[in-house]
Amino acid sequence: MRVENTRSGRWVRLQHAAAFHRSRTDLVDQVLPMVLDGLRGGTPVALSVDPATESAVQRELDGTAGLILLSRPDGPDGESGQTLAARRARELRELVSATGRPLIVINEHTSRLDGVDGTFWTELDAAFNIALAELPVTMTCFYPELPLHREILDGARRNHPLLAVRGEMAHNPHHLAPREVLAEQPAPAPVLLGPPELRLPFGAWQLHDVRSAVEDALLSANCPRERAEDVVLAVNEVATNAVEHGDARAELLIWVTDDGVVCEIHDAGSLRDPLPGLQAPHSSNPRGRGVWIARQLCDSLHVWTDDRGTHVRMRASP
Amino acid sequence: MVRTIEDMSLVGHTCAVPVSDEQLWEVTAQWLAGGLAADERVVYFEDETAGAVLGRMADDGVPVRRALDEGRMVIVPTAQTRAAAARPVARYEEMFLDQIDRASAQGFTGLRMSGECGSELLRAGGVDRVVEYEQVVDRVLRSHPSARLLCRYDLPRFDEDAVSQMRELHETELIGEAVYDDNLLRITRSDPSTARLAGEVDHSNRPQIRKLLETVLDQALRSHWASSDITLDLSSLRFLDVAGAVSLVHAAEEFPSTHRLVLTGVRPRVVRVLDRCGAPFAAQLVVVPRTGQHRREGGRHHSPS
Repeated sequence: MRVENTRSGRWVRLQHAAAFHRSRTDLVDQVLPMVLDGLRGGTPVALSVDPATESAVQRELDGTAGLILLSRPDGPDGESGQTLAARRARELRELVSATGRPLIVINEHTSRLDGVDGTFWTELDAAFNIALAELPVTMTCFYPELPLHREILDGARRNHPLLAVRGEMAHNPHHLAPREVLAEQPAPAPVLLGPPELRLPFGAWQLHDVRSAVEDALLSANCPRERAEDVVLAVNEVATNAVEHGDARAELLIWVTDDGVVCEIHDAGSLRDPLPGLQAPHSSNPRGRGVWIARQLCDSLHVWTDDRGTHVRMRASP
Repeated sequence: MVRTIEDMSLVGHTCAVPVSDEQLWEVTAQWLAGGLAADERVVYFEDETAGAVLGRMADDGVPVRRALDEGRMVIVPTAQTRAAAARPVARYEEMFLDQIDRASAQGFTGLRMSGECGSELLRAGGVDRVVEYEQVVDRVLRSHPSARLLCRYDLPRFDEDAVSQMRELHETELIGEAVYDDNLLRITRSDPSTARLAGEVDHSNRPQIRKLLETVLDQALRSHWASSDITLDLSSLRFLDVAGAVSLVHAAEEFPSTHRLVLTGVRPRVVRVLDRCGAPFAAQLVVVPRTGQHRREGGRHHSPS
């Protein structure tokens, strides 16, 4: 779906800006004019900010309707930037097609998701650049001037093509393409899980066994049939990618937890696309569609690479 | 000696040597459905396989539920099948005569049976026991022409020698021709513009889809009588991966404008994959879901043909 900017007649795409603030007061002072400008011009404004920021903005707006509140990142894999970016892309795509208008989005950093070194934010913004690229969205990400981890500032400077300084959008000379950012700072490995319920090595001719194992695990976790079928499709697509080239061997690991099933697929290969399946597939290019669909079907899908190969963790609640 | 499945009304004691599970369900379902159509009493001795056989019959549009409810079709449960196979050979005659009597007492035109007896006997006493059994059965069936039995000897369970021994013991063999069968996917053709897919399509056999569509389309284009609809019956297709769905959608998009690709009997699971791969936007693709009534035409530029 595309939204046309009526003035220039050109397709509007993602405008991704970083902004920095000294304090919450400073943050609200910067956010307010953006919100007011948008709403006055008839552009819907969506917020993903701290509840304190949100209520301060609402107070100033005097209860004016029109603010859209986006889901706050949470959940067991809230630390997966690519998962959050995929979910946000879906949310914004729905908003854009519902309103038929471009959108202003304001994000605020929260230290809750910093993890050990803050690389979550680097992954998130790189993933935003890929996942939201085609959407008519002007997104400003607010970061504290003095975050706990230096990586947060470094990442923000590399990932954002624009800088919002006191209401003015300026070109960011330090901006790098997502691929370059991720080459320097790859998506982190998720927290380790205990020993899996099942470990199944497989090749290109054993995908049926992969599907059966995943289906059995899902049904044992009381997953409804239709949901189980969709998750089996998701895992099948990731497993297919792992063995697609030559006679590559791969491995499936399954954990059954109280909140559903976790599957990991490991292979020794490397990725051409550091964050596959984030861009909505084009009909002209069938590749990448499988992982894109898998991301839509799983609660979280995190891809990471290291010197042993490529790894994917998928989580699915019943 | 070898007859095609169309001659089934002439067949009494027959065998099939399926190369895959799909073929096993296919030939069994056709055999049993033939019995229902001929108003015979249909008996299936199951060994945890009734689900697959009844599922395939339902795929084929046979009203199995009604036949079971009305007692025209009977499933002998696994435990009883195994107990029957464990009996002394002399008791088989008694058992079959009992079944034949019951069928005629209830006013059926005949009796039609199939099931897992063969593999149970093999487990119980090896090939020799199967041979003994077959000899008894053959004698009974010869003197009761309205009773029919299909014995299945699939190659993984019966070795080549056993299979050729079994072929000797049967007057006829049911042959089901397949264009392709890899034990995961089975493709059969019934007429120049129709094919049926049973099983699962994934990375290991996906190229077969493209190959099949090319062949069918080519034959349809060369024939003046063939329909302008290329029909794939997907009622027994249990899994289709994303690339498989994309290849069906792309194939339809590349069809000459005179032709359409019609997918029939599509299960909900497969419909969802097709929907996610752009099927609703392909003008020359028609997806007919399994439930039947609801026909979904693809594409906005669709013109009825």
